[in-house]
Amino acid sequence: MGEVIFWVIWALVAVSAMVVAFSKNLVYSVFSLLATFIGVAGIYIFLNADFLAVTQIVIYVGGILVLLVFGIMLTNRIVVAKITQSSLQRTTGLVVVGAIFLVLVLTLLNQTWPLATSAAEFDSTVNNIGELLFGDYLILFEVASVLLLGALIGAATLARKEL
Amino acid sequence: MHEHYGVVLAFGILGFILMYVAFILQKLIGPKNSSELKLDTYECGEPTEGSSWVQFNIRFYVIALIFIVFDVEVVFLFPWAVVFKDMGFVTFIEVFVFLAILVVGLAYVWAKGDLEWVKMKLKYGTGRYAATRLHESESP
Amino acid sequence: MDLTQLALSLKYFIPEMVLTGFIVVAILYDLFLKPETSHRVGFVAIAGLVVTLGMLYQQQGIPATGIFANMFALDGFATFFKWVVAIGAALAIWMSLDTKELENRRVGEYHILILILVLGMFLLVSATHIISIYLSLEMVSIMSYLLAGYLKENSRSNEASVKYVIYGAFSSGIMLYGLSLLYGLTGTGYISEIQAQLVLGQVSPVMLVLVTVLLLAGFGYKISAVPFHFWTPDVYEGAPTPITAFLSVAPKAAGFAVLIRFFNVALSQGDPNTPSWLALPGLDWPMIIAVLSAITMTVGNVLAIQQNNIKRLLAYSSIAHAGYMLMGVVVADQTGIAAILYYAGVYMLMNLGAFFVAIQIKNIYNTETIADYAGLGFKAPWIGIAMAVFLFALTGLPPTAGFVAKFYLFRALVQFGDGFLWLAMFGLLNGVVSLFYYMRILKAMYFDKMEIPEKLTAVPLHFNVLMFILVVPLLVGWMFGDPLSIWAAEAVQFFF
Repeated sequence: MGEVIFWVIWALVAVSAMVVAFSKNLVYSVFSLLATFIGVAGIYIFLNADFLAVTQIVIYVGGILVLLVFGIMLTNRIVVAKITQSSLQRTTGLVVVGAIFLVLVLTLLNQTWPLATSAAEFDSTVNNIGELLFGDYLILFEVASVLLLGALIGAATLARKEL
Repeated sequence: MHEHYGVVLAFGILGFILMYVAFILQKLIGPKNSSELKLDTYECGEPTEGSSWVQFNIRFYVIALIFIVFDVEVVFLFPWAVVFKDMGFVTFIEVFVFLAILVVGLAYVWAKGDLEWVKMKLKYGTGRYAATRLHESESP
Repeated sequence: MDLTQLALSLKYFIPEMVLTGFIVVAILYDLFLKPETSHRVGFVAIAGLVVTLGMLYQQQGIPATGIFANMFALDGFATFFKWVVAIGAALAIWMSLDTKELENRRVGEYHILILILVLGMFLLVSATHIISIYLSLEMVSIMSYLLAGYLKENSRSNEASVKYVIYGAFSSGIMLYGLSLLYGLTGTGYISEIQAQLVLGQVSPVMLVLVTVLLLAGFGYKISAVPFHFWTPDVYEGAPTPITAFLSVAPKAAGFAVLIRFFNVALSQGDPNTPSWLALPGLDWPMIIAVLSAITMTVGNVLAIQQNNIKRLLAYSSIAHAGYMLMGVVVADQTGIAAILYYAGVYMLMNLGAFFVAIQIKNIYNTETIADYAGLGFKAPWIGIAMAVFLFALTGLPPTAGFVAKFYLFRALVQFGDGFLWLAMFGLLNGVVSLFYYMRILKAMYFDKMEIPEKLTAVPLHFNVLMFILVVPLLVGWMFGDPLSIWAAEAVQFFF
């Protein structure tokens, strides 16, 4: 059962990501991204990363996606502008991407992964994340606040009308 | 562990199904006398005017940006809430520093008027939009 | 990490904490300023940088140590780059207070963002864990995007910012993939532990090459190495010129710092502090970097020839200089890294100088085109002489420190053995090419007929002082025992 659900989610992510990339209408792309984000959250759950899954929903679905929708809605003269996207040089791109994909898959399959063997027992990861976040990774947590501060100030400055 | 999330999935699927049940039900039992008029976009009973693609106020964007920053902040607080009891008062100070730095950001956007929906009086309106000041203060 | 460790780490973290304090003070101070007076935040920023440098000076003599559970390192290598970055930032802010591009707008945020950018680079040059590397790299990148787009009514500046964001997001995503592979292969995020795992030889060589290439996408983008350089000319042209000057110097130096630290620690055979240091067996990354270096300098120099805009020309020349500096990474032993450190210091002075002259000329004549520099050497003799010194240094001609810096790089490469003599030849050929376009500016300044009829507006005194500060070390700094090279040689000391 779990296996089936996993592959269903996998298909959801793959298909919706393709819609994001190939849809002619930017608005469809954005809404398809919703499915991608939710699907990725599902994959996180299968990876035993429950906190990440919730974070994915809260930040990406709840925040970033809204911002993207606004980004489109805010576009100047949206009535006149052609809200489409297209890709140039599809054949060349396909060849390059295909080659990279092939190399990646072959290398990844031929490699033994030391961490892959440990099948984790289910336990909520929030506890561990909390302990690490306020233990070894404390400084990164604090640095993140400065990064957020800078991003906030910069974004507010650029988005403001006044010079 | 993912079995525990089966409930969430079940909820999602159920919600999806219920939505389509409503669609299918109305298709099955609803009367079918379609006319051209019924395909019109509904706008308070008035004939629609212009495109529904209108440009949003830029202020939505600023608010959304501010929201995301504090959204991320809140996510960081969940693990803290879980481990606070075990790890003690030090983590309180650590989170306090984190929040204090972000509160500076809040103070910044507040003082600069980015949180005000209608700017009645621009504090620093000397740029390219200075001429639109009057207009902006009238319309929401 | 217990409390005593935390206290000790905080003691070693004073410069960064002081800087953060000044960031907060600058933000709060900015809230009380009107647009006309918002440039005063710049003075706070300079004061903050000076105090931070003072605190850095206090840290001298501390042996290499890891702080905050070894997330960051305090070592001579990091400290050297912190000095370069902070001095560069102070000079860039100084010039920002003078440029006309930033007139009639609020500039408080501008200085605040520069300070946060500096903090990001402080962290980047000392990061020793893949997450701290990534976080600080993002911090540097995001602040750079914001600063590049600071002239928001200017579509060039918007274009610069958007291009920067798209290239940056893409390459940092690729690098993140490489880091995740590395974590999966080794099960640890500390770069010294990654080395301990990799040296066991359980990872296939193809995989290692793959990871290296993925990582180079991220690092190469920060130092604008070919083929990750496409953003450079447009961003450099569109961004406010003081920011261009700063971006071409400080994040590039910080990018080199993290590149060298990562490759020398994680992808090596042992302790990078020993002279018998060797690259990881099975992964010939010096060769990868050598090829990258050769392509980078060639592309940068050849494309610079056709440029008519001074900012674009200097952008391509900065790509070429990244190529030269990569020659030192190829050697990667102590002499090579010392040569890069020296080059980074000298490059900071000469490149900032050239950009500052461009800013001043834009202020006075409102032009960025090289042809308009005609006759400038006689109209504004001091600026002319200063520019000549900077261009000589950038070309690598004696009697400037630029020559000495290039000499150290080539010496390190030649001493390394015959394997990379071809790269040294490449470098020499490129030096000749670069001579052509740098001298074109000089020719315009001294031999072309002047075309701008109006009289010269007086150059402000403080600009002459600034030029003096930049020119003197370039001309005489390498004499008297060359203190910078002594410092650079001592600074090659990694926390391992």
